[in-house]
Amino acid sequence: MEAEDLKVATFQSHYGAILFKKRVAGEAVLKPVPRSLSSSCGTAVFFTSPFNPETADEYLEAVYKKEGDCWSVIWKR
Amino acid sequence: MVVNEKGKLAITGVIIGVAAVVLTVLGNPGNMGFCIACFLRDTAGAMHLHTAPIVEYVRPEIIGIILGSFALSVLRGDFRPRGGSSPLLRFIIGFIVMLGALVFLGCPLRMVIRLGGGDLNALIALVGFIAGIGVGCVFLNKGFSLGRAEKQSGLEGVSMPFMTILLFVLFLAVPSLFLFSETGPGSMHAPIAVALLAGLVVGAFAERTRLCMAGGIRDIFLIRDFTLITGFAAIFIAVLLGNIITGSFKLGFSDQPIAHSMHIWNFLGMFAVGLGSVMLGGCPLRQLILAGEGSTDSAVAVLGMIAGAAFAHNFSLAASAGTGPGLNGKIALVIGIVILLAIASVATFRRRGE
Repeated sequence: MEAEDLKVATFQSHYGAILFKKRVAGEAVLKPVPRSLSSSCGTAVFFTSPFNPETADEYLEAVYKKEGDCWSVIWKR
Repeated sequence: MVVNEKGKLAITGVIIGVAAVVLTVLGNPGNMGFCIACFLRDTAGAMHLHTAPIVEYVRPEIIGIILGSFALSVLRGDFRPRGGSSPLLRFIIGFIVMLGALVFLGCPLRMVIRLGGGDLNALIALVGFIAGIGVGCVFLNKGFSLGRAEKQSGLEGVSMPFMTILLFVLFLAVPSLFLFSETGPGSMHAPIAVALLAGLVVGAFAERTRLCMAGGIRDIFLIRDFTLITGFAAIFIAVLLGNIITGSFKLGFSDQPIAHSMHIWNFLGMFAVGLGSVMLGGCPLRQLILAGEGSTDSAVAVLGMIAGAAFAHNFSLAASAGTGPGLNGKIALVIGIVILLAIASVATFRRRGE
């Protein structure tokens, strides 16, 4: 997965991550939420395709974009 | 040197394993350096919530774990008061998790510690625990959720850590308020300062690494990720080596400390703990950590576990070492598992139907 376009989406529930992964175009992977983003141990979706806020559903909590070694918020509930 | 997440979990697991062995050497019961369920049960007894005379003691390890998590989460910006995600259901699930743990005689952490001591009854329990987590994962994949946790006030978030501090101050200043076992597991304990320090260290490390005895197995089932299981494995290896070094390792089913060999009930007890832990979002240790981080949902789950411990001993539901659970405990556990499955089913398929 290309680091420069890497994004991560976090969710209220694991089911939300499953649904989001199905909606995302291109490569998407289910992984634990990065510790630097949250102390929660839920499931996140790592993906590289552009994020369309209109695809946000009730389960989506936030979407972050990788910038260098950090994650910056690009969408938050 | 940069240590990755698995490395940090391995270090945390080794610290917990070593602390468990040291606490046992210094006075805690056999294979019970740490046991969240047993220690909550002992603390409930000390507070007169039940009157089983052999399991009454205010365990400083529990106080230390909550406060270690609280202190580090405040320092590192992880303290986030939040709650409102089906608190009463979490109380009930916590209650049933405690019931399962007291039928087996240990939480998932003690299960691993017992395995490291050579207790093969814990191996049967591990199979049950994995089965419970597996069933929980089926519900998660189908849409199970207890609902969104919302932001809450700082006052709400610090309530659990504050109650913990108050309990510890009263324990030190007015010990006559509490009941203390003169015989049995409750009478066996490491020095207060060492137990508190061990709890603080474990609480802080577990907060940083998100160590969870159920989460590691859950993540393997759900997303084929082996990060969290590292902590689980490291605890086992550290305890195993510690027991071999101290001469405490004894392989077998019989004559194990505070254990029984009723296999079906060891299996079912930890099945309930595994399923309930997935529904709560973490094992009993993780609930203490999350309560320290400001999750009032987890604090309510901990209160449910304390209530479960009190009921378990007041109504003879807990197993006895050697002989296992009686009829009351068997009936209650089966009902408990049915209730867990009913809650999981409704919380899964109701949401999908909305």
